[in-house]
Amino acid sequence: MQHVTPPSGLSHIGLLAKYELTKRFTNKSGMVALIAFMLIWAILLLYPIKSASEFIMGPNFRSFTEALFGPGSLQHLFEWPVAEFAVFWLAALYLFPMFSIFIAADQFSSDKQRGSLRFLTLRVSRGSLFFGRFAGQMLIQLSLIILTLLATIAMVLTRDMSLFIPSLTTSLLVMVNLFIVVLPYTAAMALLSLHANSARQASIFAIILWALVSIIIGLINFKFPQLSGLNMILPGSQISSMINTQGLGSLAYSPIPLLQTVVILGLGYLLMKRSAL
Amino acid sequence: MSLIQCNNLSKHYPNKLALDNINLSLDAGAPIALVGPNGAGKTTLFSLLCGYIQPTQGSLTILGHAPGSKALQGVLSALPQDAELDPHFTIASQLQFFATLQGFSQADAKQEALRVLALVDLAESAQAKPKSLSHGMSKRVSIAQALIGSPSIVLLDEPTAGLDPANAKKIRQIVKDLSNDTTFLISSHNLDELEKLCDQVVYLEQGKLQQSVSIKASQATDFITLTMQVCDMDSLHQQLLGLNQVIEVKRSGDEQYVIEYQKQRNFELEQQILSLLAEKQWRYKAILKGRTLEETLFS
Repeated sequence: MQHVTPPSGLSHIGLLAKYELTKRFTNKSGMVALIAFMLIWAILLLYPIKSASEFIMGPNFRSFTEALFGPGSLQHLFEWPVAEFAVFWLAALYLFPMFSIFIAADQFSSDKQRGSLRFLTLRVSRGSLFFGRFAGQMLIQLSLIILTLLATIAMVLTRDMSLFIPSLTTSLLVMVNLFIVVLPYTAAMALLSLHANSARQASIFAIILWALVSIIIGLINFKFPQLSGLNMILPGSQISSMINTQGLGSLAYSPIPLLQTVVILGLGYLLMKRSAL
Repeated sequence: MSLIQCNNLSKHYPNKLALDNINLSLDAGAPIALVGPNGAGKTTLFSLLCGYIQPTQGSLTILGHAPGSKALQGVLSALPQDAELDPHFTIASQLQFFATLQGFSQADAKQEALRVLALVDLAESAQAKPKSLSHGMSKRVSIAQALIGSPSIVLLDEPTAGLDPANAKKIRQIVKDLSNDTTFLISSHNLDELEKLCDQVVYLEQGKLQQSVSIKASQATDFITLTMQVCDMDSLHQQLLGLNQVIEVKRSGDEQYVIEYQKQRNFELEQQILSLLAEKQWRYKAILKGRTLEETLFS
C-alpha cells in the first residue's frame, strides 16, 4: 500500500486548471470548437482587419471620422503603433466576451448532472474545485487570445517586417486588457453553470440575465439619473468606453471588471459550498 | 475515536423527512452493513457522510472530522450512487487524474490507476471510454476509483446491484481481502451478501435508526437454521422442541426452522438433529450455524 499526502488547496487549483486546459485541447468536441474559433478569426483577420487597417492608414479616413463623429471622438484609433491592432481591438473587445459565454458555459453543469463532481469532491475541497475550474477556463481563453494575437502579428509582418517589436509590445498590452475583460464573464459563467443543468442552459441563463439586468438598469437610470453608476455592476459595461482607448490607457478601466470578478467569484464560491452534489 | 459519529442527525428535503434524529456510533474494523427498504434514507446518509449534502440538524463526524474536510481527503472514498465518469475521456486517464489529486506523482498515478482497474478485472479496458462499457463494467470502474490510494474508509452504495453473479462475487472478495486495512460501509438490499461480509448491521427504516446490531455478538443463546427438503414440518417442529437445550423453534418460510438453544461448546445439538433426521428419513437441504441476517433483523 502506498501512502501519499494530499496536495495543498492551491496545488489542487493548479492541477484542476491544467486538466481543464488539457481537456479542452485534447477531446474531439473541444477541437471542433477550437477549429470553429480559428476559422472565425482567420476570416476576421483576412478580410475586415486587413482591409480596414489599410483603410485607416489612408490620409482621408481621419478627416472623414472627424467630420462624422466630431473632432477627437476616435482620436485614439489613430494612435495605435500598428494599424491592424486598432481593428483587432475593436473586434476582440466584443468577440472575446461573447466567446466566453459559450466557451466557459460548461464549467460545472454537465459534471453535476452526471454526478462526476462527486468523484472530485472526495479528493479536493469545493473551493479548490470551483477556483480550479475557473482558472482552467481563464487559461483556455488566454491561450485563444495569444493564438489570435500571434496570427495578427504574422499578418502584420507580411506587410512590414519592421513592425515586429511594436506589434509584440502592443500584443502584450492587448493580451492583458482582454484577459481582464473576460474575467467577469468567465466568473459569471462559473456561477451560472453551477445552477444550470447543461452548458446550453447556462448560456441561455447568461443571455437572459444580461438582457434583464440591462433593461432594469436602464429603467432605474431613466427614473433616477443620479444612479447612473449602477450600470457598472453589469460585466462588460466598460467595453464601449474602452473602444476609444489603447495601450496602458485601456488598463485604467481594469478595476471595474476586476471588482466584478471578485464579487461574482465570491457568490459562486458560496453557491458551490452550499450546493447539493 | 469513533469511525463515524452521528448525533441527532436529521435531513429534511422539501417534501420529505429523509433522516430523523439519527444517533449512531460506528467503530473501525470489519465491514459494516447499511440496510433498509427503498426510501429508508440509506443514500441520504451516504451523501451526508461524503459531504455531498448538508444536514438540516445535528452533527456528523468521520474520524473526528466534518465530512468534506481536508483531513478526510484520501482517507475516505466512496462509490456514489448514479455517478458517472466523463464520457469523453478514457477510464485510465480519469482514474490517473483522481490519483494525482490524491497526491500521486504522474508516473505513480498511472500505475495506481492500472492497479485498481486490475483489482476489478478491468485492466484491459483501461483505454476504453466510459460510454463503451456495460452497466456492470461501469459499476466496477466506479468501485475501482473508490480504491485509489487504499483509503481507510470506503463507502459502497449498492456495490453489486446490476452485476452478474461472478462479478458480484469478485467484488465481495475484494471487500474481504481489503477489510484488514480498510473499513467498508456497504449499503445493499442483498442480505445474503451482507451476511457474508459484515459484522455490524445498521438498519434504517423511514429515516429512523431501527437497529444497530452485531451479527457475531456473543450472547447466552445461539441459533441453528435448518432448511428441509420434503418432510412433515409439523411433526419435525414437535420433535425439535423435544431436544435437549432447545429454547424455541420458529418456522421461517415453508421449509425452514430457526432453532434457539442454550450456548454450548460441543456439537451435541447438531448431533441430535442429524440423528433425528436419519431416524425419520427426513432429508435436509442445509444446516446453518446462526441465523440469516433477514431473521436477525426481522424476527
